[in-house]
Amino acid sequence: MTHSTLEVSHLYTSFFTEHGEVRAVQDVSLAVGRGQVVGIVGESGCGKSMVARSVMGLVRKPGKIVSGRILLKGRELTSLSEQELCTIRGRDISMVFQEPMTSLNPTMRVGRQVQEVVTIHEDVPKQEARRRALEALGAVGIPEVEARYDAYPHELSGGLRQRVMIAMAMVMRPRLLIADEPTTALDATVETQIIALIKQLAETGTSVLIISHNLGVIAQLADYVYVMYAGRVVERASVLDLFDHPLHPYTRGLLGAVSSLRGQSKTLQTIPGVVPNLAHLPAGCSFAPRCDRCVARCASEQPELVTVGSGHEVRCHLAKGADAV
Amino acid sequence: MSGSLVHNLVRRLAYAFISIVGVAALVFVLLRMVPGNPVATLLGEHADNETVERISSSLGLDQPLPVQFANYVLGALHGDFGESYTLGKPVSELIGPAFLNTLWLAIAAALVAWVVGIACGLLAAIRKGTVVDRLFMGFSLLGVSLPVFMVAMLLQYLFARYLHWLPVAGITDWTGYILPAIALGWGSAGSIARLVRSSVIEVLQQDYIDTARAKGRTNTQVLVLHALRNAMLPVITLMAMQFSGLLSGAVITETIFSINGIGRLSVQAIAGRDIPLLQGTTLLCTFVIVMGNLVADLLYNVCDPRVRKGA
Ligand SMILES: Nc1ncnc2c1ncn2[C@@H]1O[C@H](COP(=O)(O)OP(=O)(O)O)[C@@H](O)[C@H]1O
Ligand SMILES: [Mg+2]
Repeated sequence: MTHSTLEVSHLYTSFFTEHGEVRAVQDVSLAVGRGQVVGIVGESGCGKSMVARSVMGLVRKPGKIVSGRILLKGRELTSLSEQELCTIRGRDISMVFQEPMTSLNPTMRVGRQVQEVVTIHEDVPKQEARRRALEALGAVGIPEVEARYDAYPHELSGGLRQRVMIAMAMVMRPRLLIADEPTTALDATVETQIIALIKQLAETGTSVLIISHNLGVIAQLADYVYVMYAGRVVERASVLDLFDHPLHPYTRGLLGAVSSLRGQSKTLQTIPGVVPNLAHLPAGCSFAPRCDRCVARCASEQPELVTVGSGHEVRCHLAKGADAV
Repeated sequence: MSGSLVHNLVRRLAYAFISIVGVAALVFVLLRMVPGNPVATLLGEHADNETVERISSSLGLDQPLPVQFANYVLGALHGDFGESYTLGKPVSELIGPAFLNTLWLAIAAALVAWVVGIACGLLAAIRKGTVVDRLFMGFSLLGVSLPVFMVAMLLQYLFARYLHWLPVAGITDWTGYILPAIALGWGSAGSIARLVRSSVIEVLQQDYIDTARAKGRTNTQVLVLHALRNAMLPVITLMAMQFSGLLSGAVITETIFSINGIGRLSVQAIAGRDIPLLQGTTLLCTFVIVMGNLVADLLYNVCDPRVRKGA
């Protein structure tokens, strides 16, 4: 049996704060196949980053994985020791963070920060590590790599820093690259370049989990999309299905926000209301308070994730029997 | 660029020079504003006016203040700080050996402060919220708030009079420096520990720490290779400034432990109204503090690439 690169099943991750348990991730299952690009989309605070951090084993206190399984090429990660995880991070899975401005060590030359990844995982001479770091920096389109190698992060632009982050993530040729809002902090032109770069990486066989609050970014990159709301997956579909037949009212809301941008309407259409407090979730559907189609059942009963078509799943009472909505 | 670094250095040196001359002038004027003629004090009650005037003029004290100051500065530039009224020797000869004693004491105290302060701060930071953290921080609060003379006398009582492990006072060999170094360094250790702790905790929250962990670094490696250097930036500045403080502010410690350093010499000079000597020690302390600040600035510049370039 062949395994997906990444299989997450029934993941629960919570923060245990003085205000109670904040359920950042609830019952999230997802799979990323070999060479696939899978997207997670959702408003800020929906638990996207916590899914990524759970996979990396980098959930900070007072957060922790409560239950669930995370399989990398069939290998269970949640039961590994910290020491074992260290051999996997950076080599088999790597991650690019949202803020290129603050994600690089300000007092270390960027080349050394890339080279470091090689020396952590392989016992190679310094010259060889340097050569591979230079190669990785060149591969992500950094001009004049020899000179940039000795630059400090503050001497580089945001776009270049994010390229350094990607070089760092790719230098070991990991099976899985997790990119958490890699373009959110960048301007539109640079965003386009970074998206093209990630696409190029995926074409070389790396599986990518791309996280964004921006459906536009997801649409350009992903094959499959998971829509997250308040810690849960509320819809999952191929990109085409999701854009052609969005089933969850939340997804439609997100799409509305995008298409109103495309149609250059003057007002940005957003979903009214805010993401609920994850420490005190409503009994029924978490989206019910903001949903314009909400019925009585929605407020009392948590909907299950149901399959409505090939590879299309949705968590909504109204979606049963496919296009009943 | 290195060009701006040199430019920076020159500018700071100029500021340092101006500060020192300014303080020297201030001290010069203040000491001469004290009522009463120091020569009269020196000669005792029974000296006649004529003698006082003759000696005053031989010391140049009858000249206008600006002239006196100019002469003093000219002399100082050649290492001549005048002659002590009370000890009958050139001030430079008195200050030299005393400064050496103070220097040894300051180095020993700084070692205590740095080693204890950094170790405790680091441990408290990585054990944040535990008993270890609270214990160390309680101790450091004691360190910051207990007056030096109390620490000194407690140490003397415990380790010298009661346990007889170390000499009570006076320097015959290096063991004589141990208790004074602890007494003097104790307070600095407390403030260093607090700063190290808060700085390490803050740095460990930064995004690049996540990046380092995502590369596969272990927690210890992250701390040593990524957190420590960044966390030490504000601490280095504090350490450099404290060192000049230790050099110039050891009056109480030197007195309690009978160390013939600058602090003790200054006290003697004040008691004897020995203006040239007091001027000398004050000028030395000013020099040390200004240089300490300069070194602190430069160290920060060298250690933080972000300020190295601009400013
Ligand atoms: N340190 C923390 N303490 C308590 N709750 C937290 C903490 N960090 C994150 N959370 C919770 O986890 C939720 C999900 O956060 P995150 O995964 O970063 O959202 P996203 O990446 O989708 O914007 C947040 O809404 C917040 O309630
Ligand atoms: Mg996020």
